[in-house]
Amino acid sequence: MKIDHSLPLEYGTDQNQLNILGFWIFLGAEIMLFGTLFASYFTLVDRTGSGPSGAEIFEITPVLIETIVLLTSSFVIGLGVHAMRIGRTKAMITFYAITLLLGLTFLGVEIYEFMHYVHIGAGLQVSAFTAILLTTLGTHGAHVTFGLVWGFFIILQVRKHGITPETANKSFIFSLYWHFLDVVWIFIFSFVYLKGMM
Amino acid sequence: MEFFERFAIPHPSAPIYASMVAIGLTVIAIVAGLTYFKKWGYLWREWLTTVDHKRIGIMYLISALLMLFRGGVDAIMMRSQTAIPENTLLDAQHYNEVFTTHGIVMIIFMAMPFIYALMNFVVPLQIGARDVAFPRLNALSFWLFFMGAMLFNISFVIGGSPDAGWTAYFPLAGNEFSTSVGTNYYALALQIAGLGTLMSGINFIVTILKMRAPGITLMKMPMFTWSALTANVIVVFAFPVLTVALIMMTMDRLFGTHFFATTNGGMDMLWANLFWVWGHPEVYILILPAFGVYSEVISTFARRNLYGYKSMVASMVGISFLSFLVWTHHFFTMGQGALTNSIFSVTTMAIAIPTGIKIFNWLFTMWKGKIEFTVPMLYAVGFIPIFTIGGVTGVMLAMASADYQYHNTMFLVAHFHYTIIPGVVFAMIAGLTYWWPKMFGFMLNERIGKWAFWFIAISFNVTFFPMFFTGLDGQARRMYTYSEATGFGPLNMLSFIGALGLAVGFALIAYNVYYSTRYASRNISADPWDARTLEWATQSPVPAYNFAITPQANSSEAFWDAKKKGHELFKGEVQKIHMPSNSGVPFIMSCIFFIWGFSFVFSLWIPAILATIGIFICMAQRSFERDPGYYISVKEIKETESKLRGA
Amino acid sequence: MMELFPRKQVIGFGFSLLLTAIALAVYFFDLSFTAGMTILLVTAFVQAAVQLVVFMHAGETGDKGSIYTNIYYSLAIALVTVFGTLLCMIWGYV
Ligand code: HEM
Ligand SMILES: [Cu+2]
Repeated sequence: MKIDHSLPLEYGTDQNQLNILGFWIFLGAEIMLFGTLFASYFTLVDRTGSGPSGAEIFEITPVLIETIVLLTSSFVIGLGVHAMRIGRTKAMITFYAITLLLGLTFLGVEIYEFMHYVHIGAGLQVSAFTAILLTTLGTHGAHVTFGLVWGFFIILQVRKHGITPETANKSFIFSLYWHFLDVVWIFIFSFVYLKGMM
Repeated sequence: MEFFERFAIPHPSAPIYASMVAIGLTVIAIVAGLTYFKKWGYLWREWLTTVDHKRIGIMYLISALLMLFRGGVDAIMMRSQTAIPENTLLDAQHYNEVFTTHGIVMIIFMAMPFIYALMNFVVPLQIGARDVAFPRLNALSFWLFFMGAMLFNISFVIGGSPDAGWTAYFPLAGNEFSTSVGTNYYALALQIAGLGTLMSGINFIVTILKMRAPGITLMKMPMFTWSALTANVIVVFAFPVLTVALIMMTMDRLFGTHFFATTNGGMDMLWANLFWVWGHPEVYILILPAFGVYSEVISTFARRNLYGYKSMVASMVGISFLSFLVWTHHFFTMGQGALTNSIFSVTTMAIAIPTGIKIFNWLFTMWKGKIEFTVPMLYAVGFIPIFTIGGVTGVMLAMASADYQYHNTMFLVAHFHYTIIPGVVFAMIAGLTYWWPKMFGFMLNERIGKWAFWFIAISFNVTFFPMFFTGLDGQARRMYTYSEATGFGPLNMLSFIGALGLAVGFALIAYNVYYSTRYASRNISADPWDARTLEWATQSPVPAYNFAITPQANSSEAFWDAKKKGHELFKGEVQKIHMPSNSGVPFIMSCIFFIWGFSFVFSLWIPAILATIGIFICMAQRSFERDPGYYISVKEIKETESKLRGA
Repeated sequence: MMELFPRKQVIGFGFSLLLTAIALAVYFFDLSFTAGMTILLVTAFVQAAVQLVVFMHAGETGDKGSIYTNIYYSLAIALVTVFGTLLCMIWGYV
C-alpha cells in the first residue's frame, strides 16, 4: 500500500482519503436529516393538543448538564486526535475513553429526562408536540448510543493494532461523527430548549 | 391459527390467488433449476457476493426490467378497468391498490434501479476508474434496494397491498382509513430501499470527485458522468427527508403517535409537505441521468461534440439546487395563501429555464451533425418533442391559480407521464441499447429495436394525449370508474388501445433481448458505435479490472481524440492491479433487513429485535474486519487482454 | 514535530463555553423574542463554525473545496426546507 507521509496518517492512503470525504458527505445528509426534524419541530411546536407545552416541561438543570458534558466530550476527543497525530497511543486511548464516558453520562441524563417527561404526562403519544420533541431528541440520542458502541470498537482496535493508517483513519472519522453530534446538540439546546423557555 | 390470520389478504380475489400459486411455482422452479444444474455455488460466488460495479449494474438492470413488467401489468389493469364506463373488472379497493403499487413500483423500483444500473456500469468506466470508491458499500446498496423491492412486492399476497396512492397522504394513510398492513409495507420497503439509495449517492459522489483518471478535470468529464454527479447530489440531500417522513409515518401507524393524525395537534398536511420536499427532487434525480444519456447518444450519433458543454453543466448544477425550491407546487390547493403560492410558482417556472437550455443544446448539436438514426438515437430524437409537451404543460400547472383547475385531474397524469416516459423510460431504453454491447459483448437487433421504438412512441401518445382532454373536462385521477353521461368513455377507450400498443412495444424489447442473445454476432469490435468517451476504449465485455493501464485524458471525449487526433490514451506499462475481495455480508445483512422490515410490518416485536441485533452484528463484523483485497498479476492481465483482443 | 500543547483545541473549547454562556442570557434575562432569537441564531451558528474549523479540521486537505461546498450546500437546503415548511405550514395561513 502506498503511504503518503506529507499528510497526517489518517489521510495516508488513497482509500483513507476516500473514506474521509465520503464521511463528510454523509454528514451533509445528516444535516438534512436533522434539518427535516427541525422543520417538523417548528411546525408542530405549538400544536400541543391537550398535552403540555415546552415551557411547562423543560428544566434548565439537566439540559445544562447535558450541554456541558457534551461540549467537554467534543473537546476531549479533539485532544484525542491531537494525541493521535503526535503518535501518543496511550494518551489517545485515554482521551477516547474519557469521551465515551462523558457520552455515557450524557445518555444517562437524557434517559432520566425522558423518564421524567413520561412521568409528568408528556409521553410520546400525548400530542404532536411531544411526539416530535421526543423523536428529535431521540434521534440525537440514538446517534450518541450508536457512537458509544462504535467508539468502543475503535478503542479496541487501536489497542490491538496501535496507530496505523487504518486505525487512525477510523478514529479520525469517529471524531468527525462525535463533533457533529455536538453541533446538532447545540442547535437542539438553542432552538428547542432555550427558545422554548425564553 | 389466530397468529396466521394477520397474513391473510383482507380483500382477496381470484387473480390474487392465481398470483400466489404463480409465485409459489416460480420459486419452486428457480430453486429446483439451480439445484438441478448445480448453479448455487456459481450464483453465490459470481453474483450474490460480488462487489464488482459492472455486475452490480447488471443486477440492477435485471431488477429494473422485472419491475417494469410488474408495473406494466398494473398499468394495463387500470386502463382496462377504465376503458368503458361503469366497468366491473376491478372494484374500487383493487383499483386503489393497483394505482398505488403502480406508482411506487415504477418510480422507486423501476426507474431508480434503472438509472443506478447505468450509472454503476458506465460511470467508473467513463472516468477511467477501477471501481467505485466503496465497492462493498455498493453491493450493500444494491441488496438493500433489492430487499426493499421484494418486501414491497410480497404485500399483495401476504397481508394486503398499500392502497393510499404512491403519495400516501394522511389522514387516508393513517390507521383509521388504511386498516390493512399495506401502508406499513409502503413505509418499511421504501425505508430499506431508501437507505440503499442514500449510500449509493455518497458512493458515486466520492467516486466522481476523487477517482477520475489523470487529465479528466471536472470540466472534462463526459456529460453522463456530470449528470450522475448532480443526480447523486440530489439523492444525498433529498433522501434523508424521506427517511424522517417515513419514520414518522411508521410511528403514527405502529406506535400511536400523532404526527400526521387529525387529533391531539397532529397535522396531516405536514406529511404532504415532507413527502414533496423529497418527492420533487426525486423526479429530478430520475431525469438528470436521462439527460446525461441523451447527451452521450446525441453527440455519438450526430457525430459531433456536444454543443454548449458549459451551459449543459451549469444547467444541471442549477437544476440540482432549484429542484429543492419548488416542492409546494404539488399542493397549491392546500390553502397556504397567495404569497406562498406565488413564491413557489415563480421558482417552479424558473426550473423550466435550465431545462429549455438543454433542449436547445441538443438541437444545436444535431443541427450541424450528420445524424445516424440508430435505435438509441431514435429514442433521443423522439424524446425532444414529447418531453417538451410535458414541460410546457408543467409550466401550465405551475401557475398556482390555474392549478386549482388542473390539480388531481387526468391532466396532471398526462403531464407527468409526458415528462417521465420520454424523459426516463425512453432514455433508459436508449442507454440500454447503447451500452448493451459493452455489457454483454453483442448488439441488440436494430430492426426489432426500431419496431419497438415506433410502437412505443406512437402508442405512448395515443395513451396519454387523450388524458389532457378528459382532465380538462374534469375527469379526476384515481377514480376507478365513471358514468356514461360524463362522456369520458371514447377517449378512455383510446387510452386503453394505446396501452395495449405500449405493451406490444415492451414485449418486442423483451423479444429483442431473447432474439439477439441467440442470434447476434459475438464478433464485434470494442467500439461498435464509433463512440467518443472512455468506456469504449476498453474491451467488450469489460474485464474485471476495467483498464489494463489507467487512461490519460485530454478532453471530455478522450477516446474520440485518441481515434481521430492521435491522442495517446494508454501510456506506460501494465502493472499489477489491486482488487477488493468479494463478500457475502452485504447480501446477508440485507436479508436480515428484509426480516426486520417484515417484522415491523406485522408488529412482530421479537423477530424485529433479533433482526436489529443481527444488523448490528453485521456492522460490527465490518468494523473489525481486515480486508486487504488481492492483486491481479501482470501476467494474468496480459493474457486476458490478448484473449479479448483476439476474439 | 508538532507542538505538544493543543493550543487550538483549548482556545476553541474556551470559546464554545463562552458562547454557551452568552446563549443562556435568553433564559436568565427577560428579552424580547426578536432579541432572544438573534442571540440564539448568532451563538448557535458561530458555535457550529468553531466546531467545524477547530475540531473537525474541515479545511486541512486538498478536499477542502468539496467539503466546504458540501456543508454549505446542505446547510442552504436545510434552511430552505425549514423556512419553506414554515411558510407552507404556518405563515401562509395568517
Ligand atoms: C418544466 C418543468 C416542470 C414543471 C414546471 C413541472 C410542474 C409540475 C407541477 C406544477 C405539478 C403539480 C400539479 C398538480 O398536482 O396539480 C407537477 C406534477 C408532477 N410532475 Fe412535473 N413539472 C416539470 C417537470 C417534471 C419532470 C421532468 C418530471 C419527471 C421526470 C415531473 C414529474 C411530475 C410528477 C411525477 C408529478 C405528479 C405527482 C403526483 O401528484 O402523483 N415533472 N409538475
Ligand atoms: Cu414537482
